[in-house]
Amino acid sequence: MDAAFEPKLVGFLCRWCTYQAADLAGVGRSRYPANLVPIRVMCSGRVDPLFLVRAFLKGADGVFVGGCHPGDCHYIEGNLRARRRFGVVQTVFSVLGLEPKRLRLAWISASEGPKFTAQMKDFDAAVKKLGKNTAAAEVFL
Amino acid sequence: MKGGQVDARGGIQAGITSFLKEALSKGCFDAVMIPTRVPAGDSFAWILTDNEDLVAGASPLPPVMPVQGARALSSITKKGKAPAKIAAVMRPCEVRAAVELGKLKQVDLANVTLLSMDCPGVLELSTYLSDPTKGDSEFSRLLDKWDAESLRPVCRSCTHFSATASDIHLGLLGAQAERLYVMPLTPEGSRVTDALNISADQELDSWQAKVDEVRQKREEQRRKSEVELKERVEGTEKLLATLSTCIGCRNCMRVCPICYCRQCFFDSDALEGEVAAHLSRAERKGSLRFPLDTLLFHLGRMSHMSLSCVECGTCEDACPMSIPVGQIFSHVARRTQELFKYDPGKNRYEPLPLVTYEQDELHDFEQPYVKTYSGKGAADA
Repeated sequence: MDAAFEPKLVGFLCRWCTYQAADLAGVGRSRYPANLVPIRVMCSGRVDPLFLVRAFLKGADGVFVGGCHPGDCHYIEGNLRARRRFGVVQTVFSVLGLEPKRLRLAWISASEGPKFTAQMKDFDAAVKKLGKNTAAAEVFL
Repeated sequence: MKGGQVDARGGIQAGITSFLKEALSKGCFDAVMIPTRVPAGDSFAWILTDNEDLVAGASPLPPVMPVQGARALSSITKKGKAPAKIAAVMRPCEVRAAVELGKLKQVDLANVTLLSMDCPGVLELSTYLSDPTKGDSEFSRLLDKWDAESLRPVCRSCTHFSATASDIHLGLLGAQAERLYVMPLTPEGSRVTDALNISADQELDSWQAKVDEVRQKREEQRRKSEVELKERVEGTEKLLATLSTCIGCRNCMRVCPICYCRQCFFDSDALEGEVAAHLSRAERKGSLRFPLDTLLFHLGRMSHMSLSCVECGTCEDACPMSIPVGQIFSHVARRTQELFKYDPGKNRYEPLPLVTYEQDELHDFEQPYVKTYSGKGAADA
């Protein structure tokens, strides 16, 4: 593993839960990896499969989707729909051998600041293990 | 499966058309949508007609599939219920696509009777066009022998070649010489067979046995071809190598019965970028192919519509670069459909997987609570 390798992570965070958790982590002075680019979405259900595919193909080493716990969605069912879509994309990735582990879905509620930090550290470490996203260097995308 | 029999003295195609002609004359339906040879003679097109002579001269089972039947049906009923009863005579994959389009509100099946028949598969469009006479004789041989060598690759390993969600299914397999099986599968189908005085209470064991036999062969073929396909597409490098010849014509999308969106994301401005952004991206990489997003297009389409993919192979037929896009799609689609135990086109009343959900499912895709937080040692990677 390249010690200097700092993965680039993109996170689609639900405005009501996971984004709030990221905020709480900050307020609580709990450090999460600085290489995460958080993108706030109104609901994890807003995350179109193409968001994930596009982030991956543009060279993100890891793509994260964070939403409310099932049953806690602000829009009642958005995260349950998000889970189905995520399942489809990750399946497409695994069937075609495109490193499905670079995609991650987790439920982190607004009160779980430390959990957000832990999850991000863990994702960062997991992606470091996978190494650089080869798509980032591909010319014929 | 229970059904009856009808006469097919002039051959399979003539048997089907005479069945339709009789149903039309007895008023079971007002019009028939059916493939017919075009005047030039080298291809087939869909016609909607109530003319019995035209029906008699039609080709219900053409050797190629230039336009997917569900697309043709959608062009008729997209804006609502048909005011008169239409019988759509289609291959099983076309019926399945029509059912999916019904769920997507692109086809109104309210006044449509779906007729399907056992389908041996079709020939590649380009091969057929180069020599239609040879293609015709090859196809009639196929109808007789049901072997698969000359078929399109997707058809060779198709396991949905027989009865599906249609109202009436016409069985060719296992039938006696000069006979066809007729199976009413819905009350609507029974209405037609009753009107024609076909008693549909016979057990069709010979048909079932033959269908199972062919299905077994196809499944074996499928396993073999999937191994070969994996060799060609698994991993970023191989996938790109296979798709890199793509010229971005989007034919696969235009002809796909399931890809119906009026405003496709890939046609929108969402993908347009500023010059500076393109330059800096190319600079970062060293070089970059333009136009962009070949892989995004294909992966995006797979994530968007593979759940409803009926593996008809029209996309592959339409590809000017002979990319095995239909095989890749069907390979991926089987896996994504497996996730929800969804069989597209099988049941008109089963909702599409992406419009429904369950509280307790798909936990394999969620990242569980990370252990480092609870202080129980190393993170699970």
